[in-house]
Amino acid sequence: MNLVLMAMILALLIPIYEAWRDDEVWQRMLAFASIATKTSVMALVISVLRDDWMIGIVAVIILSVGNAALMLLAHVIKRLNDVSNQ
Amino acid sequence: MLINILSYTFIGLGIVFWFWGTSHLLGNRSILFKLHSLSVADTLGSMSIIIGLLLRIPSEWPLLILAIISLAIWNTVLGYVLAYCSSSGDSYE
Repeated sequence: MNLVLMAMILALLIPIYEAWRDDEVWQRMLAFASIATKTSVMALVISVLRDDWMIGIVAVIILSVGNAALMLLAHVIKRLNDVSNQ
Repeated sequence: MLINILSYTFIGLGIVFWFWGTSHLLGNRSILFKLHSLSVADTLGSMSIIIGLLLRIPSEWPLLILAIISLAIWNTVLGYVLAYCSSSGDSYE
């Protein structure tokens, strides 16, 4: 299971690098959405590894609420673009 | 023993999907191409990893099923919303 976690951290480095490299806002949003999903699944794996279900509950909350927050943020960015271009 | 092997197979498959989907992020393709590969491969990979965990500890199935459902619903909705917002934002520029 430790090897699994290491492979997941390696996969997590790719979107982090992408968010750092690219300045375009939608590419960054995409990378952040990927980071959010990956970290919450990693937290679920850790909760199984440590047999601690408090961490698992936090991971599931992040999984549902974090994606909803990203959706709202995408709408806010779109509205800001619309207003600034009018 | 068989359950153990099966759960490692699911988790390994999920990690392969993760690498496959996120490797498209690094190229210089359009954002819709990246969004498609990322949402499909990321969702399938994460669901497969969670199924692997579910086989390992079946006693906590309500939590893991909730995780799978929220993954399936939110990632598709988020994919549509990101595609809609990014494509209509480009037309003004």
